[in-house]
Amino acid sequence: MSAIGIDPRVTGGQRYSVDAERPGMLHAAFVRSPHPHARVRSMDASALGDECVALLPDDVDDLHRYGCQVRDEHVLARVARHVGDIVAAVAAPTREAALAAARQVEVDYEELPAVYDPVDAVAPGAPLLHPQGADSAGEAVSIGVRPLAGTNVCHRFRLVHGDIAAGFAEADVVVQQAFRTPSAAHAPMEPHAAVAEWHDGRLTVWTGTQTPFNLRADLAVAFGIDEERVRIVGAPMGGSFGAKTFVRHEAPLAALARKAGRPVKVVLDRTEEFLTLNRHPSVIRVRLGARRDGTLVAKELDCWVDTGAYADCGPGVATKLGYAGVGPYRIPHVRVDSLAIYTNLPPNGAYRGYGAMQSIWASERTMDVLADRLGMSPLELRRANLLREGDVFATGEVMHDVQFERCLQAAADAVGYEEDRRGKGLCVLLKGMQTPSRAAIAVERTAVGYVIRTAACEMGQGMRRSLQLMGARMLACEPGQVEVPPPDTDVSPFDTRTTSSRTTHMMGRALEEAVRDLRSGDGERGYGEVRNEGGLDPDTGQGIASTHWHQGAAAAHVAVDEETGRLSIEHVHGVAYAGRVVNREGAELQNEGSMIMGLGTALFEAIEFADGQVANANLSDYNVPAIGDLPRRFTHEIVEREGAEVHGLGETVLPPVPAAIGNALYSLGIAVHELPISPERVLAAVDARAAAA
Amino acid sequence: MTGHSAVEWLAPASLDEACALRAERGDEATVLAGGSFLGILMNQGFVQPSALLSLGRVAELGTIDVHDGELRLGAMATHRAVERDATVRRDWPVLARGFGLVASPRVRNQATVGGVLADADYASDPPAVLAALDARAVLRSPRGERQVSIGELILGFYETCIEPDELLTEVRVPAAPDRAVYRKFRSRSTEDRPCVAVAAALGDGALRVVVGACAEVPQHYPDICALADGRTIDAALAREIAARYAERLRPLADARGSAEYRRRVVAVEVRRAVEEVSAA
Repeated sequence: MSAIGIDPRVTGGQRYSVDAERPGMLHAAFVRSPHPHARVRSMDASALGDECVALLPDDVDDLHRYGCQVRDEHVLARVARHVGDIVAAVAAPTREAALAAARQVEVDYEELPAVYDPVDAVAPGAPLLHPQGADSAGEAVSIGVRPLAGTNVCHRFRLVHGDIAAGFAEADVVVQQAFRTPSAAHAPMEPHAAVAEWHDGRLTVWTGTQTPFNLRADLAVAFGIDEERVRIVGAPMGGSFGAKTFVRHEAPLAALARKAGRPVKVVLDRTEEFLTLNRHPSVIRVRLGARRDGTLVAKELDCWVDTGAYADCGPGVATKLGYAGVGPYRIPHVRVDSLAIYTNLPPNGAYRGYGAMQSIWASERTMDVLADRLGMSPLELRRANLLREGDVFATGEVMHDVQFERCLQAAADAVGYEEDRRGKGLCVLLKGMQTPSRAAIAVERTAVGYVIRTAACEMGQGMRRSLQLMGARMLACEPGQVEVPPPDTDVSPFDTRTTSSRTTHMMGRALEEAVRDLRSGDGERGYGEVRNEGGLDPDTGQGIASTHWHQGAAAAHVAVDEETGRLSIEHVHGVAYAGRVVNREGAELQNEGSMIMGLGTALFEAIEFADGQVANANLSDYNVPAIGDLPRRFTHEIVEREGAEVHGLGETVLPPVPAAIGNALYSLGIAVHELPISPERVLAAVDARAAAA
Repeated sequence: MTGHSAVEWLAPASLDEACALRAERGDEATVLAGGSFLGILMNQGFVQPSALLSLGRVAELGTIDVHDGELRLGAMATHRAVERDATVRRDWPVLARGFGLVASPRVRNQATVGGVLADADYASDPPAVLAALDARAVLRSPRGERQVSIGELILGFYETCIEPDELLTEVRVPAAPDRAVYRKFRSRSTEDRPCVAVAAALGDGALRVVVGACAEVPQHYPDICALADGRTIDAALAREIAARYAERLRPLADARGSAEYRRRVVAVEVRRAVEEVSAA
């Protein structure tokens, strides 16, 4: 906030990574593969002028493979594995000159067979993207990765709870259905941008990132230097939604700066954004069994999760997708098999919800299919099976502060579900938070108040505001007296990363400790740190998936033009459990933003590929929701509990929106199994209903 | 993104100067109106003009007025201006609606009447509406001035009959028919282009139905429309006209819908448009 209280994002005063500048800086452009899978035979940059610096494959021979979960990425690709894979880079005095120079680099490719679908990619004889993929699994850092040697599977997550065969033997009714979700773009307003500079063997990168310490660690691996020789200075982001995580453009940029001996800046254009990181497409097959009274007895989930050309955090996404698909239910027998699979599409990574939307869509749609078969109300079926205080989830965790029923009932009530459920649908969800993780924070007294040093990142979600509000309350001062500078790995205490809606929850607790430390000491500075321990065994899915659970629900009311398949959404209501609200306005905006992204996901967002090429790599051909796309009634609520801890809610009400809308259609006998729920798919489902009648 | 630094910028201040430059430079200079479409093509590297002939300073091209009951829209009148013009709203409300349904206010403040016709993008809204209203485009060159119908103007995908020395300066819309409707069927966002567009006009007992966004050019089948000649349009006739349109059309497929889906929607939306335009 400026002195007169006007948000600098409104006045233009906010500096983003696209605004970063360094003296003597050059501008970069990347040379990208036009082929989905091709070996670089040779490269010729001799046409470039003297003012240009080219980074060619030989320049990165001394650099190492890197990757946040599997070390399968190279600073420059000698084998391009997706359209847009970076094979070389060019620096020039202006951006225009760099772009022109990049076009002058001649690359000779040998095209290789390619695969674009995760189910095809695990079929025998599919082209292999990373033949040596399994070798690097042992180097993976953050989670236990289980690649299947000799295949495109970079991670297999399994969850085994009870005895699945016995469970289905007990079932009176079994339903089975496969569901699909497409790729999607994060589409933040601000593209990826960064400046890299070397000085005395030390690398500094100014960049918009949600993961400064992961970026530091991975760049240190790539360049074979100590982490302390890498400094990441974060800038507030003009949106991210998971797009600005781990190493993206920063590695080739840093290598280019090393070669140029000068700082170099890059700003990606919108087309490049679609080639940089997208959402995981998935195929999910659900099998669900119940007794005649509606008691769930067995559930199987088989998930094919398309992580694209590089694993990135695909193993983590496949894991979270896998256990979130179990749903917030007591089910004695569960089997989940979730595969993160390489294909020749651009890499897929974290996207608001981190895989939860995909499996919640499949699993909550299946609940309504089961309810229909049992002749029960979908609300009743859910209510009868919801996890309650002290129940054991499929991972073996005992559930506490359980609010699923409150969330579900609130959603149902908002649309009058129990009065008349035609055209109405529900969804209830459970979603985990990054576990294990660590958050540290430092508080220092200043002349005017306090400064909070944290590696937490502002991307529009209101992290700074929440810390200011919590800090002001704990330190007995005004929020305006609390300064929260952007992260800088040289001075900010360690934080795992700003993902999975964990910042307010984790940093809030760390801040309490820091303030306690400050009070018990000299009053000048304090330090606080919290850790949550846990993690799941990738072979059994047992352990601690999450030290606190995101709980929520949604309800939708739709009307259908059955001649064209066009939906009109009369009402969508989202419910998130917050524990205690820290920043009410911020929490409400998070809910609304999540629901709007959920609407886009439900109704029309899909990246179209043709032989691995993105066919709609612009915001004219790729639609994101506009204000006119909001439902006639668009409401939400935040469920609280006196004395509860602070829960994250930045993503909670995105994942339930597609399933709530899909179930609303299903209440009319219109069964759609693939996102987005386009009018064309709805019309096909109307035809199918007529054919079955 | 391509480098734009080498582009020559031509910015005439009058219509005569603009026409002279157009005649002199021909297709070697790309005519720039609002830039909402050309900007995307340039940013994506699909076109790399060496010279741009901008009409932005030609004030004569920005006017909207009425002569002898005929509406004259200057080529540089923006979509937003047409949408908000009091006379257009009163006397040609379907035109205000058609232009007002394009994309978002930001785009409509930029995109122009001449631009959208000269681009000849199959998925734009205004061509179908203008065709249903029997509008004519004025093309001017040193050789003189000619007027062409929308059907004559738009020849195919991004292809028009505009000669290299001609400028599209104006669009003339005859006195509005008794009734006219424009139905924009979207399959994705409200700000998206149409999946199927249907404009229908009924005046002096004559029906004109034009289907947009489904083929290279707006589709108008006078012989099918003639089924309504001298008859009261009832539900059965509306259905028959719609069915014949759907049958004759050779729909294209794009991200907004398959060919077969479009055919289904055409049968529905043409029927609805004919019913609406003929309702008492």
